[in-house]
Amino acid sequence: MGTFLGWSIKRPSNLTKLLVLAAVSIALIVADARHRHIATNLDGVAARLAYPLQMLAALPSTTIGALWHDLRTNARLRRENAQLAQENRLLQAKTARLGALTAQVERLQHILKAPAPPGYRETLASILAVSSGPFTRRLTLDEGANAHLYVGQAVIDAHGIVGQIVKVGPDTSQVMLVTDPNSGVPVVSERNGLRAIVFGTGSLRRVKVPYLPITADIRPGDILVSSGLGGIYPADYPVAKVKRVVGNPNEAFLTVVARPLAHLNHHTDVLLLWPKPGRTGRARG
Amino acid sequence: MDNLTLRQMATIAATFLAAILLGIMPTPGAAAFMRPDWVAIVLVYWCIAIPERIGIGIAWLIGLLLDGLYGSLLGEQALAKAVLAYLALRFYMRLRVFPRWQQAVAVGFLIAGSDVIVLMIKSLIHGNVPVWSDTAPMVVNVVLWPFLFVILREVRRRAKIS
Repeated sequence: MGTFLGWSIKRPSNLTKLLVLAAVSIALIVADARHRHIATNLDGVAARLAYPLQMLAALPSTTIGALWHDLRTNARLRRENAQLAQENRLLQAKTARLGALTAQVERLQHILKAPAPPGYRETLASILAVSSGPFTRRLTLDEGANAHLYVGQAVIDAHGIVGQIVKVGPDTSQVMLVTDPNSGVPVVSERNGLRAIVFGTGSLRRVKVPYLPITADIRPGDILVSSGLGGIYPADYPVAKVKRVVGNPNEAFLTVVARPLAHLNHHTDVLLLWPKPGRTGRARG
Repeated sequence: MDNLTLRQMATIAATFLAAILLGIMPTPGAAAFMRPDWVAIVLVYWCIAIPERIGIGIAWLIGLLLDGLYGSLLGEQALAKAVLAYLALRFYMRLRVFPRWQQAVAVGFLIAGSDVIVLMIKSLIHGNVPVWSDTAPMVVNVVLWPFLFVILREVRRRAKIS
């Protein structure tokens, strides 16, 4: 190809190129996995570049969704409307009762000089993309560091805990679902206060509850709510419902399979929670 | 062979862009788990068609962009795509003369090989255990190859890339 200081230079062979690039890749992977702060800047650039592409990719499904919505018949909308109005009345009645109860609890707590009542600020964020990438299920939200999101923030929906934020870009952020194999949520059983930790399995319909002794009192149908321990998730939000409990007397632990309660498949909007300043994780009495 | 014109480069870039968009487009749950690796298929096609132009370096850069889009560890897809391009360049002479179905199976194996690298990195770093449904995209890749091959060949001929 040419000469350089008397050495003849050849075009690098494919194998050389592959080995060099593989070494760079492995260095990047290790840097990314071990030292997030080194790779964060590069990641921010990648997230910036990715944002318009993600918008473009979401365009057909949002357009088709809007069209489908417009094409629904008037009758169906009217029926829905009536049904919703009825539900609304019921919910309003319930809310009124809740309001009274909350006021009562506040009064009682004030008397007991207990720490502040559930003090979380919340905001809606919409989901830009679901399941971005092979072999992982993550949500991408349309808010990022510019809206004061932070890594480790709790994400919930109307039915329970969705997950936590694991990556924040300038205008987007990524949510690790409770079903992710890396996710662990400290919970208590609503029925008897049994403490446990819910781990993801990678399947959207299944989570597992390992490390429960063979004698633990847990049955199918038990609701597991977050305990607030660990400080990431707020207390008392539903997480999962126990589906199957298998106890083998030869093993130390039960095999417990549960179904996550948040509607992980159907989201368009999720709630983000900010703890109000001065509040610390609440321990259960 | 001559250098590619700007127009021809734009055509190639457009096929990759389309593949990337198809790869990150939101899909219903059932379709999501058998989503083929569009980018890998397009990459293998260009590696076979113009091995002097599309190679390991470009594959690596595209992989890096995918890492940004997928939110996977930086370098994961880059490594997989570089290996895929290397394998495609190693066997392109043979792949060109294979009958179409045999070509599809061979390309399917190359892409599956690069997928195994991704799965290995994931299980090493996150402890994810690979599950059977991970093999669904690999099968879809094989089924899709003959169709995409014909489409991409038509694109290549219209743009007079050789």
